Amino acid sequence: MIEIRGVHKSFGSLAVLRDVSLSVPAGSVTVILGPSGSGKSTLLRCINHLEKVDRGTVRVDGELIGYRQDGDKLHELPERLVLKQRAGIGFVFQTFNLFPHMTALENVNEARGPRDALQLLDRVGLAGKAHAYPRQLSGGQQQRVAIARALALDPKLVLFDEPTSALDPELVGEVLDVMRDLARAGTTMVVVTHEIGFAREVADTVVFLDGGRIVEQGPPAEVLDNPQHERTRAFLSKVLV
Amino acid sequence: MSLLSSARAAVRRTSDDPPPAPAASPDHDELTIVPARHPWRWVAAAAVLVLVAQFLHGLATNPGWDWSTFFGYFFEESVMGALLITLELTFAGAVLGFAGGIVLAPMRLSSNPVLKSVSWTFIWVFRSVPLIVQLLFWANLGYLYDRLQIGVPFGPGFLHVETSSLVSAFGAALLGLALHEAAYAAEIVRAGILSVDQRQMEAAAALGIPRLRQFRRIVLPQAMRAILPNAANELVNLLKSTSVVYVLAIGELFYQVQVVYGRNGRVVPLLMVATVWYVILTALLSVLQHYTERHFGKGYRR
Repeated sequence: MIEIRGVHKSFGSLAVLRDVSLSVPAGSVTVILGPSGSGKSTLLRCINHLEKVDRGTVRVDGELIGYRQDGDKLHELPERLVLKQRAGIGFVFQTFNLFPHMTALENVNEARGPRDALQLLDRVGLAGKAHAYPRQLSGGQQQRVAIARALALDPKLVLFDEPTSALDPELVGEVLDVMRDLARAGTTMVVVTHEIGFAREVADTVVFLDGGRIVEQGPPAEVLDNPQHERTRAFLSKVLV
Repeated sequence: MSLLSSARAAVRRTSDDPPPAPAASPDHDELTIVPARHPWRWVAAAAVLVLVAQFLHGLATNPGWDWSTFFGYFFEESVMGALLITLELTFAGAVLGFAGGIVLAPMRLSSNPVLKSVSWTFIWVFRSVPLIVQLLFWANLGYLYDRLQIGVPFGPGFLHVETSSLVSAFGAALLGLALHEAAYAAEIVRAGILSVDQRQMEAAAALGIPRLRQFRRIVLPQAMRAILPNAANELVNLLKSTSVVYVLAIGELFYQVQVVYGRNGRVVPLLMVATVWYVILTALLSVLQHYTERHFGKGYRR
């Protein structure tokens, strides 16, 4: 489903991603872990071209993202085509980013996707809040609306950028429940998170990123319970307490 | 150590003592709360009321206000006609000005250096030139270019008209007001766009929403909240600025009352006619502002 090959990305002189390669099979859940500043979010944002890669390629379903290959050259796609590619990739933000002047239902409808908005809200347990504005919803509810909005375009895969980091602890569960349901239904997901419990339970693959490189990857039982790399062990010992 | 133990002893002693009994102690439920008195508020209010009364008395009794002349001209036909021209200039100036502003603001925010500098220069020039000077320039356009033509740039022309027939006094006034207004509206719209959280554009981009629809559906409705109070201010300003076009001898409200008092010498009551109409129109605009702000405030608590 996703093929990332040799991706480099720098912001000015700061190298954020160095030679990252990763493949994500269809229907799988990949959780990306790593300390802050390790390039997790940047990697995720490269997958739907919210960030441009400096070197390397990202393919989704075989389709090159953000570029058109012509011999040995990569031509940047016009914005119109990039937007069209993004419509096949759902993205859930840490800060929800709902449109504040629209109700929950209007937010989901604004994606103008093929899926029925009310049904999607029902799926995240918020059919009763369809006509509420984002400000009238709790953080957890807002994030569930944002997930419904991301699903409206019937995407091939959904990317989650720390979806529970901005939530009060008691609201984290409801969002993770929705994500768990999605995973069970066979949605291809890439999740940047600090929720180790979620990773252990739901992930097929856990990727540990540090200093812009993939340090270690594998099934959760290996990476979380028997990490091979010193830096993975140090990170997990801090997170798991 | 000795200090500590003596302190402890002191604490023990006070806590052992019974609380001092209040003088005459009724039940605590029966105590009434008496709000603090503010005698100086009454003094200040009285003083201001006396001044207001004095002013109103003056309005009613001073023969200089000449209220019979005022009422005689308030709904008079020529004044009504002039009022209509003032409204036309305000409406057309606002529509053309804000249409220009909505184009100029994204230009100035774009990453295209040519669009950016053209917009910047436009705003710089038309904010710098006083409206009255600009109006006189447009009225004298025929002095610079006696004929205007449409054709190939620097090449032959197909269609030409006499400048004086195209740019009438009213046209010059409208042109001046619109350009002046566009420069200010551009900055008001730009402030509105800048007030929208960058993450909103990102969310729209992640949903693959086309650029123009992003601007129309996501950015502009949110920008409106920041735009409206300033735009209303600018509209009120424009309403009053239309009085400047009297220099082009256009029969708007201010010009018309000047014509009348030039004839009958009743300066004050006729200035009051214009003044009261401006006040009424501004009040109507404020009502309009209230409801528009409420419309665009949906989804917000404040």
